[in-house]
Amino acid sequence: MVTNTTTVAPPSAPPGSVRAGRRPALRRDGRYAGVFLAPSLIGLALFTLFPTLMALGISLFDWPVFGERAFLGLDNYSHLLHDPVFRRVVLNTVLFVVLYVPLNLVISLGLALWIGPKTKGRQLFRVLFFIPVMTPMVANAMVWRLLFQPGGLIDSGLQTWFGIDAPNFLGSSTWAMPAIVTMSIWQGFGYNFLVFSAAIDQVPQSQLESAQIDGAGVLQRFRYVIWPMITPSIFFATTLTLITSFQVFAQPFILTQGGPGVSTQTIVMYVYNQGWQFLTMGLASAAGWVLFVIIMGITAMQFVGQRKWVNYDV
Amino acid sequence: MKASPARARRWATAALSALALTAVAACGGGNDGSSGGSGSADQADLTWQFWIGGTADQAAWQKVADQAHTDHSGITVKLQGTDWNSYWAKIGTLLASGKAPCIIGMQSLRTASYASAMLPLDDLMKKYNLKAEDFDKPIMDGLKVDGKQIAIPYDSGPMVIFYNKDMFKAAGVAEPKPGWTMDDFKAAAKKLTTAGRTGLVTAPGDLSVTSWVRTQTGAEPLADGKLALTDPKFQEGFQGYSDFVHTDKIAPQVPSGNPDFETTQFTAGKAAMQLNGPWSLIDTKGKVKFKLGIAPIPAGPDGSKTYTAGSGFGISRSCKTPDAAFQAIMSMTSEKPLTTLAAAGRAYPARTAAHPTWFTAAGIDGAKETLDYASEHSVPLVTSKNWVQVADLLNRFGTQALNGEIPPDQALKTIQDQASAGS
Repeated sequence: MVTNTTTVAPPSAPPGSVRAGRRPALRRDGRYAGVFLAPSLIGLALFTLFPTLMALGISLFDWPVFGERAFLGLDNYSHLLHDPVFRRVVLNTVLFVVLYVPLNLVISLGLALWIGPKTKGRQLFRVLFFIPVMTPMVANAMVWRLLFQPGGLIDSGLQTWFGIDAPNFLGSSTWAMPAIVTMSIWQGFGYNFLVFSAAIDQVPQSQLESAQIDGAGVLQRFRYVIWPMITPSIFFATTLTLITSFQVFAQPFILTQGGPGVSTQTIVMYVYNQGWQFLTMGLASAAGWVLFVIIMGITAMQFVGQRKWVNYDV
Repeated sequence: MKASPARARRWATAALSALALTAVAACGGGNDGSSGGSGSADQADLTWQFWIGGTADQAAWQKVADQAHTDHSGITVKLQGTDWNSYWAKIGTLLASGKAPCIIGMQSLRTASYASAMLPLDDLMKKYNLKAEDFDKPIMDGLKVDGKQIAIPYDSGPMVIFYNKDMFKAAGVAEPKPGWTMDDFKAAAKKLTTAGRTGLVTAPGDLSVTSWVRTQTGAEPLADGKLALTDPKFQEGFQGYSDFVHTDKIAPQVPSGNPDFETTQFTAGKAAMQLNGPWSLIDTKGKVKFKLGIAPIPAGPDGSKTYTAGSGFGISRSCKTPDAAFQAIMSMTSEKPLTTLAAAGRAYPARTAAHPTWFTAAGIDGAKETLDYASEHSVPLVTSKNWVQVADLLNRFGTQALNGEIPPDQALKTIQDQASAGS
């Protein structure tokens, strides 16, 4: 393959010494860059940085929505640390992440591999699997609630065909979390499926064929040809899925409202309840910061870890 | 002149700080003109924040708002609607910002939580001669906090049993009448529980739980204004309520966090009875395919005892024209709009004079007899300041108790501990 290299003439050097000549150009670039970056930087400062810091400030107070505010120092954080409900809430969130993220990735990658570039009706499958992602989460969750509830579709189906009662999925502490994970996977895997599917399309057919001629089986082709080439997509999908699953809210909110007991309550639901239902902003902000630190930590670890397994030299 | 990088940085910092300050100021100061209300006692443009379910709802309540203008040509009331679920978060922030609308929709169970941001209405009631005795007493009392009137009610109602007449007939069970006892109720419910159907459907909602507890043992959720769920009498009543599901098996297991479950089971004809308020009666009658009846809650050892809840309109403390707002509320809760609402079947009116119209609209035999009886045997459900949290906890741990996952006493203790820690 012939690559045309176009040589771009360097901008004419301004008069003056060589050392002084390069710097104004750089400085000018910097200034332009600043102008172009300003809208998003201002947006970031106003709508992300400022509220985040404000929340940190609020988390140090007993801050009812109306009424007297009082400085508490770190008392909100120590309350959270010693509150059995909040500990359970953190555990629930981690449990959701541990169940949801691997299952989502395995299912979406598996399907993307199975419905490969040569599969007939591939576009149709892509559209079908993406439909749950596009439909509003609240509507999806309402439909699943009708399936899961006592006397719902699953329960009445089992009674009609086998004469047995289905478990009370949304009313039992054992079943509620698996029910939420199931609904979330159905709802969410289409997005990663599309990401992986696009990445697999980029793997050159010629390399796969030559590997096959060299005697590589299906697993070996996946392990040594496809996998290294799609690692950037896997990294992207893993990071985003992890972050969004730590922030899970809509599914438990609609399906179980965090119950029974607190068995499906997640950190974001806890923040919402404390802040907007019970009007205690201080505690809500502290819980929000706990979540922020958890997500920051895990994302940072992923970025450090990616150097070992993500391959950008394709 | 060229700016040095240091100077540019200073400029950028200054600009960002200015922007941030503007944003903070903007957060504090929205809605100036319309929401606070301006003008005099007879001349004002007021805003009314209320929960609205849809366009039909909007049209019905707009008529109520218009009544103020009809009665006082200088006063206009602009209706701002939000759905029930977002409503409370929204007025919480509005009241906190000190820029809340003048007129606020208030539900009796939540009055205690919001009372500190609301204007007590007792002086205005005297000044404009609004007579408390024209309204149902339990709901007037239900909208009081520390003896002060916080809102004027438009609807009210004691919790009563809705029942499916067709199911009673098919099972050969006599229909319930005022004065029926817990034993009558259980015997009927057992007979009605057959082939995938149940005699009753329960839910761990605050009004259901407290009403069933009160009729069985007379226990109240608060003692001297403090939550008292671990009181032995309350525990006994709650044990009895959860037994309906997992011991007597006259009610199905409950799913978590589905506030509509009770109503959907009943309207679908899967349960013969449910506890509900008269505000849902006409709506339920329109939905069901069977004959609907109502009866008082069955009597425990000390007779039939139930709770009343309802809603009304109050004035925010930040309102600049409380006199005009109060006159508007007087018009909005006067006989005419309440009769119109009653005729449309929307709410069981808080004004006794509008009751006959509502009973005609309902068209259910014995409804008047039952509601009069239930009203006599009811008290307002007085709540604590953190009731929203109590109700949330009751839903969570009540579900586990009803389904037999945890002992009812343990559920009540957890609710009591959690609610006390947060307040």
